Amino acid sequence: MTLEGRRIAWKFAERLLSPGDLAAVQRFDFQDLGYGYDPFGMERESAMLAYLVFNALHRHWFRVESRGIQNVPTTGPAILVPNHGGVVPIDGALMAVDVFKNLDPPRVVRYIVDTFAAGFPFVSTFLSRAGQVFGDRKNVEDLVRRGELVGLFPEGAKGTGKLFHERYRLRRFNVGFIEIALRHRVPIVPVSILGSEEQAPMLANLAPLARLMGVPYFPITPTFPHLGPLGLIPLPAKYHITYETPLRFYEEHPPSAADDPVVVRMLADKVQVRVQEMLDDALSQRESIFDLGSPLEPRPGGNENGDSTNPP
Amino acid sequence: MATARTPREPGAKGGNGEGRNRPKHNVLITGVSSTAGRHLAMHLAADPRIGFVLGTAPGPRPRFLAGLDPKRFLYLPSDILRPRQVRDLFHGAHFKEHGIDTVVHLAFVSHPNLKGRKVHRLNVEGTKGLLDRCMESGRVRKFVFKSSDAVYKLDPSTPVYLDENADLNHDPEADQWVQDRVAAEMICRSRMDSAGMDVVILRFASIVGRNVGGQMNAYFDGRFVFKALGYDPLLNLVHMKDVIEAIRLAILKNTGSGIFNIAGADTATVTTFAELNGRRCIALPEHLLEVVNWAMRRLKMTDYYYSVDRDRMRYTCLLDTTRAREILGYAPTRSIEFREYRGLEG
Repeated sequence: MTLEGRRIAWKFAERLLSPGDLAAVQRFDFQDLGYGYDPFGMERESAMLAYLVFNALHRHWFRVESRGIQNVPTTGPAILVPNHGGVVPIDGALMAVDVFKNLDPPRVVRYIVDTFAAGFPFVSTFLSRAGQVFGDRKNVEDLVRRGELVGLFPEGAKGTGKLFHERYRLRRFNVGFIEIALRHRVPIVPVSILGSEEQAPMLANLAPLARLMGVPYFPITPTFPHLGPLGLIPLPAKYHITYETPLRFYEEHPPSAADDPVVVRMLADKVQVRVQEMLDDALSQRESIFDLGSPLEPRPGGNENGDSTNPP
Repeated sequence: MATARTPREPGAKGGNGEGRNRPKHNVLITGVSSTAGRHLAMHLAADPRIGFVLGTAPGPRPRFLAGLDPKRFLYLPSDILRPRQVRDLFHGAHFKEHGIDTVVHLAFVSHPNLKGRKVHRLNVEGTKGLLDRCMESGRVRKFVFKSSDAVYKLDPSTPVYLDENADLNHDPEADQWVQDRVAAEMICRSRMDSAGMDVVILRFASIVGRNVGGQMNAYFDGRFVFKALGYDPLLNLVHMKDVIEAIRLAILKNTGSGIFNIAGADTATVTTFAELNGRRCIALPEHLLEVVNWAMRRLKMTDYYYSVDRDRMRYTCLLDTTRAREILGYAPTRSIEFREYRGLEG
């Protein structure tokens, strides 16, 4: 962003963000390398604009409710491990907004994004400036070494490509995050995100066309592709996010366990089962997918249990 | 290949410091007429830990080397493409008399507009011939090769910070400038396990500064700075004084053979650097950049070669300097003096 662009971004933010949110984007921990970028290319102004957009979606479109934010570490490295879904993968952005606005002090979740996105102009630049990092093991290790809060979807792109009847049935977790957590002694926070897997019900996947286009899947939904790009606008499913107590595998396993494929697979399965249990539990408590009628109690900032809802 | 071997320094008895009582190093610089060679020769000739500096390049002594102390610096014309001249250099009286124990190889075609068989011979076969002469001499204990971050392969899955073990660009379609560097580096790497001589490769980020020349200077000094539409990768720029300091440390420190990434103090995007340099970035669709760059070169509006940096204009390429920091003790200290630097501070 040019210097003039940065000035305009701040003017925008002053008008459109609440005083609390504005203070949060001004004070979050940002390691400036000298020219307004952090070591992974995040720019405070771009991250702020992304927050502005996704905060509006978080609040008004998806009406996100969350529980257990006190389980997210306020300092030091941690890996947040949620389920992944929704065809258009904005579940990560909504969770990042949720963590940013409910955690004190605010922290940016550095998501590990599939590398295929790095090849797309505009998309790759936007993701990088907003604080996301493309999925290479070295990038994850560099992030945890620097004490960052990392968000990682062990289901990978196959998670967002689930058909509607497969919703909330987790795909097999990749094991890379366990190896890194053991090697660098990093806690893992299991997260369940309810709502994402109904926002764009995928009825079929045109796999040959996807291969031709070089994308992980080509979805057929009730609205896409016959409504064109507008068909990708997600339905206003209500989001419920739960953060579980951190799993500190490194307390029971030495760093060398990261080289044992049996241990690593077992621990990845353990995290997968935990996230699945959280999803099943949240599904059993949910009364409606959209929940458009019930007004929400305004509890800004959350209560002593770490629960938060958006004001109506 | 980035692991260090048992170090061998003249008179080394442990430690890797630049201690006072350690014997002085006597250095041969090839390509001393290049910008880096000139700065290095002047710097080393003034360094009390360096005994003597022998500088070589084809042709008569450049004027800018005339002022150096003749007791500490000597220029010898020599073309590393001519085996007889190289042999004469290594068997000559000056080489033996001054006890040359370190060779810094800078004789490399620095501009991508020079291409072809002769350039390849200088870059690759010249490096090979020089390395072989150094090993045969039995006197040279360290060979320092100045390389570039252009050797790294860049694609969407490349990490933000590349360490010395990252994949190199072996693409046969890559520009000759890149291919020659990769080939010369591989020759150096293949000699790293040789007995009696350490081979140190320094991979530098883009060197930028006044009167320095090079790709990034040409890019940011062009009348228009064109970039790929939709991309704005991070770049790291290194100051010439940091380059010289890294080479100096590679000469003096007892590191053994190894590869070191050397980055500078300035990291920002293409757009930001262009703005700091008082230029406005113009974004064009990627497939037009090559054509526009060709036209600008034909019109003498730029010396920049887009084909060399095609991938760098899309993907971030920053260097992980952990090894250089921990083993060489290198840390960048100088920032590039941009024209509009004060504008940013304001």
